[in-house]
Amino acid sequence: MNSTGQWGTIALLVRYWIKGRFTKAAAAAILLGEGFSVVAVLFVGSTFISFSNRFGIGSGISDASLSLLLALFLVGLIQSGFNGSGLPVRSADVEYVFTSPVKPREVFAAKIVMNSFTTVLFSFPPILALYLRFSLTYGTSVLDAAIAGAVTLMFLVMGLLLSADITLSLGSSIAPQIRLLRNGLIVMIVAISLVPIALLIPGSPRLLGALSQVLPSGLAAALSLGFVDGSGFGFIQGIEALLLVAWFVAFLLLGIRMSRNHFYEVLQVLDSDGQRDELGRVTSRLETAGRSVWSVVRLKERLVMVRTKEMRALLINALFLSGFLVIYSLSGVFQSSPTSFLFILFIIGSFGAGTATRWLEKERLWIMKTSDMDLRRYVRQVFRARVTPLMLVLAPVTVAVGAPLIYSDLGRQGSLLSITLSLPGALEIAALTMGGGVYFASRYGQSTTDDILSSQTQDLTDIRRFLFQTAMNLALVAPLMGLVVSAPFWLGLLGGSLAAVAVLLVIVALVYTYAILTTLLNAAGDWIGRREDL
Amino acid sequence: MAGITAEHLSKTYGKLVALSDVSLEVRPGEVLGLLGPNGAGKSTLMKIVVGILRPTSGSVNVDGHDIVKNPERAKKAVGYLPENPSLYTALTVSEFLRFVGKIRAVDDVALEERIHESLKTFSLEEKSGALLGSLSKGMKQKVALIAAAIHDPSILVMDEPLTALDPKTQIFVNNWILSLGKKGKTVLLSTHNLEIVQNYATRIAIIDRGSIIAAGNLQELRQKADAGKDARLDEVFLKLTEESA
Repeated sequence: MNSTGQWGTIALLVRYWIKGRFTKAAAAAILLGEGFSVVAVLFVGSTFISFSNRFGIGSGISDASLSLLLALFLVGLIQSGFNGSGLPVRSADVEYVFTSPVKPREVFAAKIVMNSFTTVLFSFPPILALYLRFSLTYGTSVLDAAIAGAVTLMFLVMGLLLSADITLSLGSSIAPQIRLLRNGLIVMIVAISLVPIALLIPGSPRLLGALSQVLPSGLAAALSLGFVDGSGFGFIQGIEALLLVAWFVAFLLLGIRMSRNHFYEVLQVLDSDGQRDELGRVTSRLETAGRSVWSVVRLKERLVMVRTKEMRALLINALFLSGFLVIYSLSGVFQSSPTSFLFILFIIGSFGAGTATRWLEKERLWIMKTSDMDLRRYVRQVFRARVTPLMLVLAPVTVAVGAPLIYSDLGRQGSLLSITLSLPGALEIAALTMGGGVYFASRYGQSTTDDILSSQTQDLTDIRRFLFQTAMNLALVAPLMGLVVSAPFWLGLLGGSLAAVAVLLVIVALVYTYAILTTLLNAAGDWIGRREDL
Repeated sequence: MAGITAEHLSKTYGKLVALSDVSLEVRPGEVLGLLGPNGAGKSTLMKIVVGILRPTSGSVNVDGHDIVKNPERAKKAVGYLPENPSLYTALTVSEFLRFVGKIRAVDDVALEERIHESLKTFSLEEKSGALLGSLSKGMKQKVALIAAAIHDPSILVMDEPLTALDPKTQIFVNNWILSLGKKGKTVLLSTHNLEIVQNYATRIAIIDRGSIIAAGNLQELRQKADAGKDARLDEVFLKLTEESA
């Protein structure tokens, strides 16, 4: 095939993958997702700037922080590369593209173009928003922010290339040493990225700050922040830019070289329900003897969460959330604006909604629906199994955020009561939003057997459902948030000791939460019994 | 009477009529083979019988209980194998069977014995600890078959039970289905494999565009189709479905 033919094939593959992926519903979802990302990124950016100002953090540490963040991203991509997901493929690719005469190198190139395109599309708006926020603080131009964003995007695309290269290498002679190589690479990247943190130690040599710049993550961080903080673009930055381009070209050439060989068998298919060989056998943990049926249902649910890595994702997200909230708390925003605590309260609480929709096991419900099981009770048990780990994870987060606040507000009774109420309130909100998620999934959740709506119409329905669910969840948790805000009023009205009023209001909140949850979960059970597409 | 009795059953989705005035009886000890072209309404009928779908009108009695009015009692008696069984891929074979047995209220000791015996019978002993997601399609189908019968139901409803099974297992499953009938169980079976229905079903029902167009034993169907006394089931089936078109 000549070069025009090769480029034609690559363009053809990319065109149809884009056509298949970017439906009206997908475009709406992207817009929605990017809107949320921009708000979140601005929030995080502002928190970081407040934190830096409060603790006098210099640009060296800022570089190191961003470098560490990008290095963690790189670590994730390395993991995914070693799992065979560096080049994401779907079963349709396997069945139609891999069985066609298209050359492996053309498939590789098309996948890289497609991945780069989607990465730029998804990541550019939030990244630009972040750098614009920094530019505003440091007094640099919009162009500086755009260039900084382009550098970070280049790093992200480079990361995808590295991940793809690692996946391609799985078919080579390095395969037997994979685990060792993976761990070695990860340890090396994290270690090098962490070294500049030593700058926090007074008197430590400034050279340490530059150490992480041997890695693409460090180079990208230094260059991007250099543009937005007004450091300018001099000789050093020129060298850094050249080094970053050198990494990029090296990863690209390596990929082009390795994609000459047939690599399809090392790829992990995204939508296949097959497990990898090493996961094929596990120790049985679903012991049913002597247990009640409901205890078995809960155990099954937990087991599925653990084995599908849902539990791990929950823990990792909670770690990030707690880290962020503690930084937010230390940045002093709460002290200057106590109402912002409500926002945090909702962030902690809304954590529950995200994990809720996964409970709906779609057509697996045939197992329960054809048995004589009480579906209301089944839903309540599944909820219990899912909400327990969430509570265990979120409780330390609320304590970590709340303890310093309680300490700093000991002198102000009204404010202290609000904070005291908001700690269990965060957990109640999490439980309620999860209950809301369960209900909405039961009522509107998509079923793969649904042949009445086309998939695109169903996707749009899902987006509308998400917006409706968010609005309804806000309405459901509003009384709890209202209670927190109105705590000083209740203290004045009821009089008596702070502890007695606190206990009374906590009981009111708990009774409300219990009543709403019971209603939601019973209604969810009724819906799954009634729905015919599940 | 026990077994399955459907009376004047209809199911519509808006203007689409999936079933229209279907009346059907499957008696204990009978293996009824339900045949029909794609989209004829076989799966819809089976899903109503097991309580997944609700009829728009008409009624279904399962083991003497109305599936709409008394679903818990009716479902106790039924084992179901869907056309495309979706299993918990993150559970192992034995975990999944224990879970299904438990929600079907099988006694702990009996459950372990049945799982052990069934895995042995279906040559899945070595896969007992394997994740369902790691199994081949045929092995998953075997697990789903075991799950359908784990509570020793008096009625079995099976939608395409032979899908993805190897020839040896197909023969075994056919004999197993026949033995269920001989033990007095009620079997409602849907398949596109006419030869198997001819050899193993005690009675046959043909459904087309939502209506039962013929029901009876092979001889009765031959007479209805005006086919010869030695006509094969495929010839009878084609004649009857062409006539109804």
